[in-house]
Amino acid sequence: MIDWKLVLEVIGILIYATFMGFIFMGIERKAMARIQRRVGPPIYQPIIDTLKLLGKKESVSHGFIYDFGPVFAMGASIAALLFIPIANFQLFSSNADLIVVAYLLEIPMLGIMLGAMSSGNPYSALGVQRGLLTMVAMQLPYGLALIALIQHWGTFKLSEIVALQQTQGWSILVPALFVAMIVFDIVFQAMLGLEPFDIVSAPAEISMGPMVEYGGKHAALLFTQHAIQLFAETAFFAVLFLGGASNLLELLIKQIAVLFIAIFVASIYPRFTIDQAAKFFWKWPTILGIIAVLLTV
Amino acid sequence: MSEMKEMRNENDGVISYELQEFKLFEPLFKWARKKSLWIVAFCTGCGGIEMPPLATARYDFERFGIMPNPAPRMGDLFLITGYVTPKTLKRIIITYEMMQDPKYILAHGSCPINGGVYWDSYNVVKQLDKYIPIDVAIAGCMPRAEAVMDGIMEIMRKIEDGTADGWKRYRENYEYYRKNQDELFGEGWREKDARRWLAWI
Repeated sequence: MIDWKLVLEVIGILIYATFMGFIFMGIERKAMARIQRRVGPPIYQPIIDTLKLLGKKESVSHGFIYDFGPVFAMGASIAALLFIPIANFQLFSSNADLIVVAYLLEIPMLGIMLGAMSSGNPYSALGVQRGLLTMVAMQLPYGLALIALIQHWGTFKLSEIVALQQTQGWSILVPALFVAMIVFDIVFQAMLGLEPFDIVSAPAEISMGPMVEYGGKHAALLFTQHAIQLFAETAFFAVLFLGGASNLLELLIKQIAVLFIAIFVASIYPRFTIDQAAKFFWKWPTILGIIAVLLTV
Repeated sequence: MSEMKEMRNENDGVISYELQEFKLFEPLFKWARKKSLWIVAFCTGCGGIEMPPLATARYDFERFGIMPNPAPRMGDLFLITGYVTPKTLKRIIITYEMMQDPKYILAHGSCPINGGVYWDSYNVVKQLDKYIPIDVAIAGCMPRAEAVMDGIMEIMRKIEDGTADGWKRYRENYEYYRKNQDELFGEGWREKDARRWLAWI
């Protein structure tokens, strides 16, 4: 038996998330442009870009895994999105959905890398190597921030964390969790691939990294995936630290606030090299994360 | 005009490269192509220095959706910014063939048109149009950022009315271009050089 209401909700949330994700990407480019005193592209520019990539008349493929990588990444993004309580919809739920979402949000990078490696381009290989090292480096502070949060609220369920925050105040009002929020925000910058940690797809350095061989419809798929991923990550941040939301508008305001913090940090700092990034992650965010965990014990 | 071209394609037995199933969306895609030209950041010669003012606060081409993109697979607009030597031309041809199909070339300055100040040089390609198809050429030495912007607007206009068809001409007249390239570099240069540069393909 098919649950038609659930199916409709899934489709609705997906369309909303894709559209808002594209608008977030547009906001990112526009805000960067305004900070650099340029006019900047229109806010719907990523949608035009995706349409153009879909309209390419030729598509180069390097075999089955190359095609499979973006699809795999997109699937993981969508699965993560469905586990997150978006306003009052939480479509799938389990007893430990915090861990599920935390690791489903990491998988898209692996999917892109799977596809990129199979193209055989040396720039892709360099980008993949850098991406995996960044992922290894950011796991430790990421885990510590989540441990502090779980210890404070005493639950793994995202919906219960939201409910507790509605009654007892947002997570960031608790001093220990504020420290955890700072750690999570630093990791968040690397998850979005924004500036101090944009070593994966360093545009002028290794020519887009893993994305160098992607073009046409594959790149359009990756753009859509990035939009969904952006929406899911900002929603995850809002749910964990900013008290969730009871309607879509409230969630949107919180997501845009999170996004703007990321944009402002990204437009100030230059890029780390890969060894600096790994050293940084294992030093300051890790120390702060341990302090947060000790404070919540 | 476009109908005539398609007719000729059918008569000559050349495959039409328009995907038939997307005919309905073609106006939408045309609009999207016009509004989102990604530049392959491969600057040859002296025109590369005109790019920074174009990209930064003064002229800001990003307001038209133009974005410098280092990966040739995603690029749409190829800028030939200045004189072209045979050594660069090999790279230009390989990069141009790596780009995916609706792709456009904008040639800056007098050098790609007729050699410019290098008219009697032994080592400069005098007429670039013999080796790869050019959509718009801007005369001048060196065209200022305003002129380059004007050239880009011309490309946008040509995309809109469908006359920016360099990629189609390259497919249809491949033998002609191939013959000219082989005359310049000698037979078998693709196997010798391109294989070495692009070992993964």
